[in-house]
Amino acid sequence: MSVVHVMSLSTAAAEPWPEKATLYQPLKEDQILLSDSASSLAVQTFLRMCGLPVQVSCCANAEYMSPSGKVPFIHVGNQVVSELGPIVQFIKAKGHSLSDGLDDVQRAEMKAYMELVNNMLLTAELYIQWCDDYTATEISRPRYSSPYSWPLNHILAYQKQWEVQRKMNAIGWSGKSLEQVYEDVSQCCQALSQRLGTQPYFFNKQPTELDALVFGHLFTILTTQLTNDELAEKVKSYTNLLSFCHRIEHTYFKEHDRESQSGSPQSIVDIP
Amino acid sequence: MYFNKHLLWVKVLSWRCALGCCCMHTNMAEPMELLCWGGDWDLPSVHSDSLIVLAYAKFSGAKLAVKSIDWTWRTITASVPQLHYEGSTVTEPAQILNFLRKQRFNADYELTAKQGADTMAYIALLEEKLRPALLHTFWVDAENYVNLTRPWFTSHSPFPLNFFVPGRQASLALSRILLTKAESPLLNITEVEGKIYSEAKECLNLLSHRLGNFHFFFGDTPTSLDAFVFGHIAPLIKAPLPSGQLQKHLNQLDNLCQFCNTILKNYFTDASAEKRMDCSLMATHDPVDANLQKLTQLVNKESNLIEKVLARFADSHLNLMSLEIAVTWLNVCGHCFFTMY
Repeated sequence: MSVVHVMSLSTAAAEPWPEKATLYQPLKEDQILLSDSASSLAVQTFLRMCGLPVQVSCCANAEYMSPSGKVPFIHVGNQVVSELGPIVQFIKAKGHSLSDGLDDVQRAEMKAYMELVNNMLLTAELYIQWCDDYTATEISRPRYSSPYSWPLNHILAYQKQWEVQRKMNAIGWSGKSLEQVYEDVSQCCQALSQRLGTQPYFFNKQPTELDALVFGHLFTILTTQLTNDELAEKVKSYTNLLSFCHRIEHTYFKEHDRESQSGSPQSIVDIP
Repeated sequence: MYFNKHLLWVKVLSWRCALGCCCMHTNMAEPMELLCWGGDWDLPSVHSDSLIVLAYAKFSGAKLAVKSIDWTWRTITASVPQLHYEGSTVTEPAQILNFLRKQRFNADYELTAKQGADTMAYIALLEEKLRPALLHTFWVDAENYVNLTRPWFTSHSPFPLNFFVPGRQASLALSRILLTKAESPLLNITEVEGKIYSEAKECLNLLSHRLGNFHFFFGDTPTSLDAFVFGHIAPLIKAPLPSGQLQKHLNQLDNLCQFCNTILKNYFTDASAEKRMDCSLMATHDPVDANLQKLTQLVNKESNLIEKVLARFADSHLNLMSLEIAVTWLNVCGHCFFTMY
């Protein structure tokens, strides 16, 4: 974030959390893809963990409204903040934080594991969506361009695919095969599973933004129908991660959904 | 009779052991070859990824035949570092480390499962937060690139590649930073700079917190995480950068500088340099080390004495070099004389 952005965030810290805070994401049924859905769910989970109410609003042009070009983003008062990292800092400036009780070494670990999830899981999701031809043709391109008419839908879909492929090329993932990507996901899940162990959350009793991020990605992987189930199978093989997802879903989503009318994520129980 | 049988078994066993050792020796005799960039600034290599592999090889005891690609056509054709062994080629530090582990050179043998998971997480942290700033410091920052990086790589590449190699690396670095860190309205590099440097400084602080007062990240023996951290921070500490805000920040983190210097001192300096450095530090370890150190000091004194005597001899009578040449010439003449007559 630039210096100006940081200063504007800190001046907004004095204002309390408004009633009409909104989270914007692409259309839930038709348009949103795996990676965006995961990021959006991570932010929603984080806000629920902090006890901050937010309305989820689905717009076809959410990506273009976002200040950084990435979804989701939140509109709070007169501030617009996108992506989990800046949102966590913004909320910390407002006085809510989940990681205050951690010491320096634990905070370093938490940041490292968050980067692991971003580096491996998110990149793998992007790879599977856009660099695997079959998935891109069957799922990603049709979904991404569904709100638009011809010829804009083709142009935007191919532009997005080309952009993601360039990024994969730059970080050295373009040479990987799909099996290697699945293997990387498996190793990442293994690392998370070993770190979690038998604890309820990653840092013992209290959830942190790491729990929100991991939940967002794993839950979305488990509940999204792709061309094959291999990705979900990789995650399902770690039972403590499954029970972790169940626990968070039960604690933060089932109870709130009885009262509110905002769109709830599909339950894990319903998945075949 | 029983005694003879027993003796026979002992002979057979010892013969089989010897054969096994011979076999092992012939298997181990094929060294693994590593291609990497050459060294400078007190480092075995100036390239981060090559340093990672070199450090891990030292930690795990793998014997590598290190081949520098400087002044060869490989500066533009090869993706460095590259490991060759029995016809197979492995690139990328993570894959090379996996390969070495499969060959039984495992520096992570004693880590617990959780420590192994932590290793993966911290390596991801380094790649996401520190690497973009390192790339920027060496390849994109105008002052550093023009005064340090480009001259070094130009002088270490053969003609006519010296015109292309630095430029190609710089454009790859820039595109990597822009594609991974630049948000779409901010495609300008200057707006991204602030963000990547603040993230890198935070990453260095986190590493410093994690290392604390220990010698290495997981106890007293170095592991693959130490190799990765060393590979990333060593060029930043040692390179004479004209403009290095990240370097200044890193120099304030004493434990990381100490960590880097410890690895260089213990794993990369040759025996004679080791004796002269920090003898008082070594003396606090167990008595065996102290004895060894005293012995090496003695040998060093003796060799110094011999050198002085020879120098005096050389000065006062004949040049030692010319004496050697004269002796060799005499030998050659003698052989010719005997073969002809």
